[in-house]
Amino acid sequence: MNNKDINKQSILARLGGQKFIVLLVVIVLFAFFSIASEDFRKYTTVLSILDYSYYIVLMSIGVTFPLITGGVDLSIGTGLICYSLAGGYLVVHCGWPTWAGMIVSVLFGVAIGFVNGYLIAVKELPPFLATLCTCMITRGLGSICSKSFGISWPTAGTPGSWFRSIFKFSVGGTKYPLGFLWILLIVAAMAFVLNHTKIGRYTIAIGSNKEAAILSGINVKFYHIMAYVISGFFAGLASIAYSAVFATVQPGTGAGFELEAIGGAIIGGVSATGGAGSIGGALIGVFVICLLKTGLPFVGLQANWQQIITGLVLIAAVLVDIIKKRREAK
Amino acid sequence: MRKRVLATMLTAAMAASLFVGCGGAASTDTAATTDSGTETEAAGDTTEAAGSDYHFEIIVKSYQSSYWQAAVTGIEQEAEAKGVTVNCTGPNAESDIADQVNMLNSAINNSPDGIGLAACDQDACLDALQTALDAGIPVVCFDSGIPNAPAGSVVSTVATDNYSAGATAAENLYPALKDQFGNGQVRVGEVNQEATSESIINRGLGFIDKFAELAAKDGFTVAVIGNEKYVNDAKAEKVAEADADIVIEVAVPAQTTVELCATEAAAIMNKSDTIGMFGSNQVAAEGILTANENLDVLGDKILAAGFDAGSVIKSAIKSGTMYGAVTQSPLAMGITTIDVLCDAAAGKSVSDVPTDGYWYNADNMEDESIAPNLYD
Repeated sequence: MNNKDINKQSILARLGGQKFIVLLVVIVLFAFFSIASEDFRKYTTVLSILDYSYYIVLMSIGVTFPLITGGVDLSIGTGLICYSLAGGYLVVHCGWPTWAGMIVSVLFGVAIGFVNGYLIAVKELPPFLATLCTCMITRGLGSICSKSFGISWPTAGTPGSWFRSIFKFSVGGTKYPLGFLWILLIVAAMAFVLNHTKIGRYTIAIGSNKEAAILSGINVKFYHIMAYVISGFFAGLASIAYSAVFATVQPGTGAGFELEAIGGAIIGGVSATGGAGSIGGALIGVFVICLLKTGLPFVGLQANWQQIITGLVLIAAVLVDIIKKRREAK
Repeated sequence: MRKRVLATMLTAAMAASLFVGCGGAASTDTAATTDSGTETEAAGDTTEAAGSDYHFEIIVKSYQSSYWQAAVTGIEQEAEAKGVTVNCTGPNAESDIADQVNMLNSAINNSPDGIGLAACDQDACLDALQTALDAGIPVVCFDSGIPNAPAGSVVSTVATDNYSAGATAAENLYPALKDQFGNGQVRVGEVNQEATSESIINRGLGFIDKFAELAAKDGFTVAVIGNEKYVNDAKAEKVAEADADIVIEVAVPAQTTVELCATEAAAIMNKSDTIGMFGSNQVAAEGILTANENLDVLGDKILAAGFDAGSVIKSAIKSGTMYGAVTQSPLAMGITTIDVLCDAAAGKSVSDVPTDGYWYNADNMEDESIAPNLYD
């Protein structure tokens, strides 16, 4: 019992620690790119980094829940494209109002999240397999929904394009990254949900000791499903962010987006074995990936080198944490 | 207990790799067959004389852009008209080269009367083409050629002369920028989504070479920097960057997504001496437009030329954000591919068929000769 208490404390301490380290990495990266390239230190670059980060951050917030249960959700990347194509098709080709298309996108995400949760919590499929299957299913479904054609949600200046200004608001020619404000609010809200509500606490309980959670009378199946529903819901929100930032959504794409989101969450302190995690950490973790993606071309690095460096920085970020944990354990 | 967990995980991983392995092919099959009946049934009772019951396997580069959808539409239309059956597949992304080679191999195993192939990579398909040759299956390449194909395997290439199409973009962009040359160094950016396919490489090189040629005629020096492939293959006389009047900077993203093309484009468009941009396909051109969302430099400070069409590029050209673009005729290309395949299957001799690339801008995009090629 005593042992367990100590463990618990060090987990909490570690979380704060890792978040801090990752924040430092973000600051160091930003400083490095700013010094290395004068074009990087422009407001428009920051605007672009934020623009291209929203959909990954949203996916990352959602996928943190399955990760904490000790599972994973691989369907969010292709799912995002599928939800956006489905909603977009209704708006562009069926004359639905934009808001209705957005709601369809989110509900579609929730539905796929429920399917994932049902397969994993009730049918006891391994999360890796279940979500890999829905990943393939959503990739095919996306093409079916859009009849294999790319979809352009209403472009700026055309009727129905108001949703683009949810994320970027222009006043007198200057653009403001309004989306970042929403992201901060959502992060705060979901951090509260994770740490101070039944859903969040039970998610953590399932991840740290499922048997104990069942024995203490928690409706584990329900809360396990909810973790995936939350992930699906956020993939739906991410699809709106993606549609708003990029002009066209192409069927067949999206594979690999989930890895950036999962990578961000893990860098930010979600335990790879479940039972611990942080929403704020996921936000900062995603920015490591986004900064690298945007910054490396600015310092003139060619594509192959960009991938190598991204991999190396990610290893370093995780290694620093492991070394720190070892020291603490001593 | 440990062992059991390990065993479960290994089983899961093995099963998973099974799924991953066939994932690409499986899902594009779905994508393909949903497209208004790609499996065009040969209506046996029709009297279309050409009618033989030929079956052709068609492999496109991907379904990623409406360009390919237009090509597939042409293929299906003509297949129905000729009373032959076609089965269209393609990988998820144009960078999924290995997936495409797998598809080509399975297409050969189906022993069709011919294969239509738009290769993602110039070299990856060579072995498979030899197999097709040994099996006596004629291959018609469309959109992208395969220059080193085993003799006799590719009976015809139906493609835009990509090199001259790239040059067309340079011919039209150069005069618009000309006034700014000679007063200090200026920069022209080029975004190519990859450096592996024949069509993209030739468009990129065609633009660089023509631009350099026009500049040399006017007495300006040109340096080509950036992606090694393009820098090494450009014909232009190599001048050190510091001494050049014009710097052509070539960027290639790590993956063929609009987002990464936009990031590469932004890195060039941010430079204060940049005055021109060229995106060598729909994804690259949309990347330039996406970068401009925040930078707002196109149209006045920087003139951009694109390639292909699609609703986003078309509206950017209409509004003056994009200076103009080169379009091909994917629909005609699809139709011609089936015609050539039918001839080849019937044992007639066939040869390469070049299709055209046209420059279009806000002034001529409604013209009768241009408008049908501007797919959404």
